[in-house]
Amino acid sequence: MKLPFKSLLAVSVIAASMSLQAMENKLVIVTSFPKDLTKEFKSAFEKKNPGLKIEMLKKKTTAGIKYIQETASNNSSDLFWASAPDAFEVLKGDSLLAKYTSPAKGIPKNVGSYPINDPDGYYTGFAAAGYGIMWNTRYLSAKKLPVPAQWADLTDAVYHNHVGMSAPSRSGTTHLTVETLLQGNGWDKGWARWKQIAGNFKTVTARSFGVPDGVNSGSFGVGIVIDFFGLSSKGSGFPVDFVYPTTTALVPANIGVLNNAPHPQAAKAFIDFLLSDQGQSILLNKKIRRLPVNPATYANAPANFPNPFKADSTIGAAVNFDVKLSKSRYNLVNSMFDVMITYRMDDLRAATKAIQDAEAANGNKEMIAEARALVAALPITEAQAADPAFSGIFKKKRKKATDKVTGRQAEVEQQWDTMVKANYAKAIEVANKAH
Amino acid sequence: MSLQKIQSVGIELKNIDLSYDDTQVIKNVSLKINKGEFFAFLGPSGCGKSTLLRLIAGFEHCQRGEVFLGGEEVSRLPPWKRNVGMVFQNYALWPHMTIWKNVAFGLEERKLPHHEIDQRVNDALELVGLQDYAQRRPNQLSGGQQQRVALARTIVIEPRVLLLDEPLSNLDAKLRVHMRQELLDLQRKLGLTTIFVTHDQEEANTTSDRIAVLQDGIVQQVGSPMELYDKPENLFVAKFLGSANVLNGNITTEDNETIFKDEKGLKISLHNCDIEGSKSIIFRPQNISICDQASNSADLNGLVQKREFLGNLVRYEIQVNQQSILVDEIYGRGKQPAEEGAQVGLSMDTDHVIIM
Amino acid sequence: MTSKTHKNPGQIALFLFIALFLLSFLIIPVVKVFYVAFIDVNSGSLTLINFKDFFNTSLFIESFNNSFYVATMSVLLATLISLPLAYFTTRFEFKGAIIIQSLGFVPLIMPPFVGAVAMQLLFGSNGSINLLMDEYFGFTIPFMEGLNGVIFVQSLHYFPFILINLSASLNNIDRSMEESAQNLGSSGMRLFRRIVFPLAMPGYVAGASLVFIKVFDDLGTPLLLNVNNMLAPQAYLRISSIGIDDPMGYVIAVILVIFSLFAMWIASLALKGKDYSTVQKGGGGLAKRKMRPFERIVAYFIVILILLTVLSPHFGLTLLSFGTIWSYSVLPDGFTPDHYVEIFAETPEFMMNTLLYASLAATIDIILGTSIAYLVLRTKIRFRYWLDYAAMAALAVPGLVLGIGYLRTFLGASIPFGDAPLATWWVMLVIALSIRRLPYALRACTSALQQVSRSLEEAAENLGANKAKTIQRIVLPLMSGGLLAGFVTSFATAAVELSATIMLVSTESDAPLAYGIYVFMQSAAGRGPGAALGMVAVLIVGLGTYFSHRIIEKGRRERSIENNNQK
Repeated sequence: MKLPFKSLLAVSVIAASMSLQAMENKLVIVTSFPKDLTKEFKSAFEKKNPGLKIEMLKKKTTAGIKYIQETASNNSSDLFWASAPDAFEVLKGDSLLAKYTSPAKGIPKNVGSYPINDPDGYYTGFAAAGYGIMWNTRYLSAKKLPVPAQWADLTDAVYHNHVGMSAPSRSGTTHLTVETLLQGNGWDKGWARWKQIAGNFKTVTARSFGVPDGVNSGSFGVGIVIDFFGLSSKGSGFPVDFVYPTTTALVPANIGVLNNAPHPQAAKAFIDFLLSDQGQSILLNKKIRRLPVNPATYANAPANFPNPFKADSTIGAAVNFDVKLSKSRYNLVNSMFDVMITYRMDDLRAATKAIQDAEAANGNKEMIAEARALVAALPITEAQAADPAFSGIFKKKRKKATDKVTGRQAEVEQQWDTMVKANYAKAIEVANKAH
Repeated sequence: MSLQKIQSVGIELKNIDLSYDDTQVIKNVSLKINKGEFFAFLGPSGCGKSTLLRLIAGFEHCQRGEVFLGGEEVSRLPPWKRNVGMVFQNYALWPHMTIWKNVAFGLEERKLPHHEIDQRVNDALELVGLQDYAQRRPNQLSGGQQQRVALARTIVIEPRVLLLDEPLSNLDAKLRVHMRQELLDLQRKLGLTTIFVTHDQEEANTTSDRIAVLQDGIVQQVGSPMELYDKPENLFVAKFLGSANVLNGNITTEDNETIFKDEKGLKISLHNCDIEGSKSIIFRPQNISICDQASNSADLNGLVQKREFLGNLVRYEIQVNQQSILVDEIYGRGKQPAEEGAQVGLSMDTDHVIIM
Repeated sequence: MTSKTHKNPGQIALFLFIALFLLSFLIIPVVKVFYVAFIDVNSGSLTLINFKDFFNTSLFIESFNNSFYVATMSVLLATLISLPLAYFTTRFEFKGAIIIQSLGFVPLIMPPFVGAVAMQLLFGSNGSINLLMDEYFGFTIPFMEGLNGVIFVQSLHYFPFILINLSASLNNIDRSMEESAQNLGSSGMRLFRRIVFPLAMPGYVAGASLVFIKVFDDLGTPLLLNVNNMLAPQAYLRISSIGIDDPMGYVIAVILVIFSLFAMWIASLALKGKDYSTVQKGGGGLAKRKMRPFERIVAYFIVILILLTVLSPHFGLTLLSFGTIWSYSVLPDGFTPDHYVEIFAETPEFMMNTLLYASLAATIDIILGTSIAYLVLRTKIRFRYWLDYAAMAALAVPGLVLGIGYLRTFLGASIPFGDAPLATWWVMLVIALSIRRLPYALRACTSALQQVSRSLEEAAENLGANKAKTIQRIVLPLMSGGLLAGFVTSFATAAVELSATIMLVSTESDAPLAYGIYVFMQSAAGRGPGAALGMVAVLIVGLGTYFSHRIIEKGRRERSIENNNQK
């Protein structure tokens, strides 16, 4: 059977690890990127370095982090390659990344208002991506829905039960989108806006790819997705389209060398390759469609390809993203989103529907406003969220034994849930009375 | 009690043909079984006797012919509408129900009122002497007890006829004799038309009013046990009911004496016989006896090859002109048993010779 | 005989070896994961406070109720699907019974992700069926929405467990059981309800409890249908959130396992003392009745309707694998063989790995299963039942928990003769798969051994064969049908397992098909090739199943001929 081959492979791995060469002949990359992306880079890099084999370990970002954390004591991977900067922040916080700064030239400091590379040098941005709205053209025309352009459009009653998004706790880039709106509109208004949009959700997916998947197959018509999902779906022939709303954050997709990487030379060479002209051009491939971080590469881009480095570009310009603030309340925001939206989707949807119906019937304005306020009500204020003693409940990895935390996440979440559930029920009641 | 008033009926089978795929299992069988009769289907395994029984119960369907129960044509009726009681060879007691539930089943299916079910189940269990076992499960009973439960379960519905499919074959020898007597007593008490399937001629003989001998899907002969024994209509019946000596040869009349001769030169003179030609003669081992070689009554001479002691009988196998003849002698009437290897004379009771 | 309870050193060695195996690869890894549930995040000390939080959190209670409801309803729906299939094929002369039994097995081998995508495209709110209904009748049916969607998909996926067990039970009912009831005036549904079903109950309960536990523990389906308010997804979402170590995920995992064990215990209580195998010596067995023409039309109609429904995911998968673009339309826009060309050119190693892993895992399962069954049924070693309990407990352990447990337990150790961590060695993947599938194989082996009468062994020993020779020449050949069935179940289900796999795959060249499908299904362009890869998995396993059924049937027929001759 296959056994001899396997043991041969094992032998060759052992042989490889014993030979000390300047350039290793193997490279293990843990990545959340789809095969369409990784396979192009893999074959190009292998071609450039004959004799070197890349092992791509596909894991969801969260599973990838878990894998690297769990295997850290006996690490066998070289690079972590994924979209969300926050995932790298987690690894950096656990001291699982090694510093490396590529000598590549021609890459600006920021994309939009977000720094391309980690200021501490632990990870490197190689492509930019921003959140936007994706829609299925057949779906919209069959249901006679208008094409949305801004986040605010998605609060319109016509989109009720037609929108999908992934939970921010599932996907780092989704989190940044949530945070961008919170920072752009302010804590209270930002959450109110999110709840208005979420009231139109058909679903909150557990996988970030669940959103483009749903739009592609027509399960729902509109999705809040990261650009390359929308662009690559379109590139693959699906009847979909994508647009960047004005208030969006551009964030770099990153790569970082892992601590104690078995093949550090190959790892660094791979990062250099990503940032080279050749590597940057691969990003324009129609099944990949990510924004290069080298402005020069856009010269080869197809017509209408979004270019954030163009002088008149509006992409990612509207919000001055505060990375520090985002980091300080990261898990708290995710938890709030899950408690108020993901896990109470049915209640929120019902409340939103009741309000929309009341509005359509030209009901009592004050009562509608009251219902809206009930839905929008938050369990904690921005100041509370900023209190490290409180947000610390949501950070389980304590740095020192002396870090004092009172209360448990489950306990706090239960309190929130009780309030949110009651508010949604009350909102339905009020809205029903309004007409 | 109510069980004694069962309305029994006769059974009639008319020109039954039944095949499985290409094999014909029942060939043009016609039978009439009288009301209240204890009737046996007797034959070796594979003769079609169980099939015939199952046909009456409605589990088999014939390609041709008709089945009448008390004058009613039932060939098209499904089993559950025939009101025919059947006891299965393996008793088919349901392991998930208590004895009481097993017996009550048929009554519950008939939607009788509860008090009547209680009464009749108790009566039936009492009839078979198992009233104390009502709450047990089948696997907690012995073979004989299971048999009685199966019987009680069947008669409690007051079937028009009772069908017994080798009911005694799973019991040990002693119990078998006991149970067949119980069966017979019960049948007499209830006056129930009963068909009893068996491959054991002794069982059939001891219980039945009449027997149908089956072989290869054909009814060979119908009659009372003694009729079949004394006047078998063919070799199969003769051989299947008890042991028989069969000799093939010619019957000729020489000098006013009718003589049977087989091809090996064995000669027997027959009385009261007016048949001639190529025939077989059949006689039972007890219709021939050992005597002194020189005696006048010695019709034949032979050599004792084998002797079997059966308790009440001694069975000899005696070589006569290269033919083996079985002889039964009653043991211990002052007569000394012949030794193996001895030359003996044989005297025949020619009145009981059957010629075919 | 009973006085001779001498200890056989070989048996004790076997016992110890299996105990050690289960301890290292099942119990320790699981305990390592569960440990977290009992730690106070603030103080790091042991505590039960997390469990108190669980029961105080309305979301978790709601999730528990939802999981319970979904599992119960799935059992009911799965029963409705399996009953007619099992009944018609075992109690009647039914053309194509083997094909139906084999096809009835196929849903079990639905590869992850692709199945749900195919189901969405067919039954989703804008899937083919609903688009057609909307066009012609002006209304739609929410097959796939919320808990109903989960119930629908789960019962289509797991009903074979009931079908297989129920069919086996029905086959073991002697025909006289039914005939005596008919003779006493019972027929139709009443006969079925009062006699046939109670007698088939043990098999049904075994299958139904399996379905209940699988559905209760299952993560993939609710996750793909975006139903979050159930226990397994709650555990998963919390364990795998970025940068957060919420102990509640582990608490839920513990509760999942405990409740599953509880359900298994209830089932075993229900089955106690109910060995109703009523087939008499000398065959008998099932009476296959001929159906009247009208009955036959109704029966075929029902069976075909059920088969169409249960095979619809595979039908959808076929369309998906050959389709170009399929979006908001009844059928794909066009058809192309390109996806197959792509996977055969790019990913042959996935198929080879799957065949290797699944067959190795199934072989380990059969060896372990036979050994445990033998120790339990044929020896008097103390604590032998604990092997059976421990092995069956694997049923209650979610794959994700086992995967994380392996990482925690075996990372420190290294591969023999190598320097990579043991946990990332492909052999560990095989062991994880074999532990996950051991319960299936163990049950098959146990029932196979139960059917081998002890007197057959004693006869061989009496004629001079020693224990080992007896097992080799008498027991194993007689068990072969059951062993094969166990092998096929383990093999088929291991071939499409993802949850443990995804944690343990450490290099792409070691990855099996299920992982390959997962990778493809993460990109828009990968949907077609992913579906094609899924089809390959279904075909490989489906053909294997069909041929094993043929072999089992052939063996049964030969044995029954022998029986008849003996009669």
